[in-house]
Amino acid sequence: MGRYILHRLLRWFPTVVLILLTIYALVFFGAGDPIKLIFLRAPGDVAYDVERVEAIREEAGLNEPFLVQFGNYMWNIMHGNFGNSLVSGRSVNSMLAAAVPVTFQIGLTAIFLLTIFGTLLGVIAALNHNRWLDNLIVGFALITWGVPVFVAGPLVVVVLVLGLGMDVPYGWYGLFNPMVITPLVILSLAPMSLIIRQARAGVLEVLSEDYIRTARSKGLPRRTVVLRHILRPVLTPVVSQVGLLIIATLNNSILIERVFGLPGLGRLTETAIKDSDYPVILAIVFIFSTVVMVSNLLVDISYPLLDPRAAAKKEGDE
Amino acid sequence: MIKKQKHSNSSQDEQQYNLYKDAYTRLVANKLAVVGMIVLFLVFFVAIFGPYITPYDFLDQDLMARNQPPSMKHWFGTDDLGRDILSRVIYGARTAFIVAVSVTFLSLMIGIVLGSLGAYIGGKVDTFVVWLIDVFMSIPSLLLVIVINVSLKPRLVNWMDMQFLATQNEFYRNTILADFVLVFGSLALIKWPKAARIIRGQILSVKKKNYVLAAKALGVPSSRIVKKYVIPNSIGPIIVYISASLGEAMVFESAFSFLGVGVRPPIPSWGNMISDGLRVWQLYPHILAAPALVLAIVTIAYSFLGDGLNDALNPRQWK
Repeated sequence: MGRYILHRLLRWFPTVVLILLTIYALVFFGAGDPIKLIFLRAPGDVAYDVERVEAIREEAGLNEPFLVQFGNYMWNIMHGNFGNSLVSGRSVNSMLAAAVPVTFQIGLTAIFLLTIFGTLLGVIAALNHNRWLDNLIVGFALITWGVPVFVAGPLVVVVLVLGLGMDVPYGWYGLFNPMVITPLVILSLAPMSLIIRQARAGVLEVLSEDYIRTARSKGLPRRTVVLRHILRPVLTPVVSQVGLLIIATLNNSILIERVFGLPGLGRLTETAIKDSDYPVILAIVFIFSTVVMVSNLLVDISYPLLDPRAAAKKEGDE
Repeated sequence: MIKKQKHSNSSQDEQQYNLYKDAYTRLVANKLAVVGMIVLFLVFFVAIFGPYITPYDFLDQDLMARNQPPSMKHWFGTDDLGRDILSRVIYGARTAFIVAVSVTFLSLMIGIVLGSLGAYIGGKVDTFVVWLIDVFMSIPSLLLVIVINVSLKPRLVNWMDMQFLATQNEFYRNTILADFVLVFGSLALIKWPKAARIIRGQILSVKKKNYVLAAKALGVPSSRIVKKYVIPNSIGPIIVYISASLGEAMVFESAFSFLGVGVRPPIPSWGNMISDGLRVWQLYPHILAAPALVLAIVTIAYSFLGDGLNDALNPRQWK
């Protein structure tokens, strides 16, 4: 097991570096001179003093070759320093410190909720296979899977506010303020169908196993059969979706935070795009890819723990 | 001998034909899928023949009739510049359609090339392809496309300006084209891994089949094996991929223009219409609702059709 984790980590590290290198190269060669970007934005009539510009460039290490600059950047990241924003001059760290908790609280809560409710709905659907409840749940999953959050969010707001006369759900007052319910529901609904499908298919597969028939025929109550024999193997396919869930939730949070006025990473991304604020964009890419890859790693590690058959397969592979 | 071979060929063709006929029957029996298909045909029709059906030009401003609610004259109302929203929604369908088709085509091409390279050559090449697929699948896709668009657009526009100055060719003045090219390219870049994975998996599984081994042992050339076994076996999953990809690309396109990257105004896209509508929804909800509802209906239609196709072509997957 330890060797397996080490193996994964050794494969994971170059991947992160490669992604960052690609993004850094895109920004480096695509966006152009950061000094010019800073000066273009300086308020008023800034004299374009070549010597001063060169001095700043020298000081910031921006005249070094590409790879040296990238190395410096990686070095700074490893020391927890993401540099300064080109627009406000604030340190990216402080901007992240304000935004990350908002997105992570809402995102994690959404993922938690949708996993539980999705599994529940999937199991219910499978136990009522091909009856109206099953069709209802599958249809619901198809619809929520289709509609993107930046469509569902505004439409729900319009209905809630103009139709039902509720207050506009806008702003961030902490995770336990009722304001957070609408964005939370929208964020949870979209990827829930992934879980519903997996859980439903998983249960349907398990139902035909011999040990379920045995458990039933020896007179175990239906509840015990479901809880002990069916739910357990369904966990594996559900857990395997967590990586996808996290990507979907991060993507959705970029799209939806503006609609609900949440000051999280999504909002930060949007303003950073509008202002071409590259240090901020790079830092967000770094955080997002790290989160996704760490969760993929955790999923891979938990696989053999959940299902010994997977472990046997993996050892056979290597 | 020759006669026998011919006979077996024709019977196989018949079987193939039956397989697709079967799939078609199953698809048509699925009511939701049929509804989805009808909606999408309608959208494609509107997208292709857009200029001939729109009641107004999408740029026509009627400043005397701004922010009007839906009426007989303007079915979906007008926006803050007095432009007819129905016409803009129809042109938005055109934008979405162009992006969806080109992105699906491009990503499928990349996927076919890389996927079959990996599966055929095997060894180090295959390991590399699989690793590349994993890497691309673990990047937050939306963010990657945003970075590509934001960082390369100024450079591309700049380059086109230089080309125009050098050649005086009007072609290079077309910045709309630059927008589209970037959207196509970056979307294809995040979508090819799925296609590559499907193709690679299909080829690998066909390669293992006994009848392919037998064909190889008989000395059938590989071009013929590809034509006879690999392609027919991969067509089902590829059709499912195409239908899913068309929908996803449309959604991604709208998502970008919603965020302000991607296709820029005045070219109408459902995404930037929703984004515009968000500013004034409390006063004029129809400006937001029209494009949002259309996009919602289209995506639900895709979802239904994709599910139906999946059921019809891979009957083993669902019980």
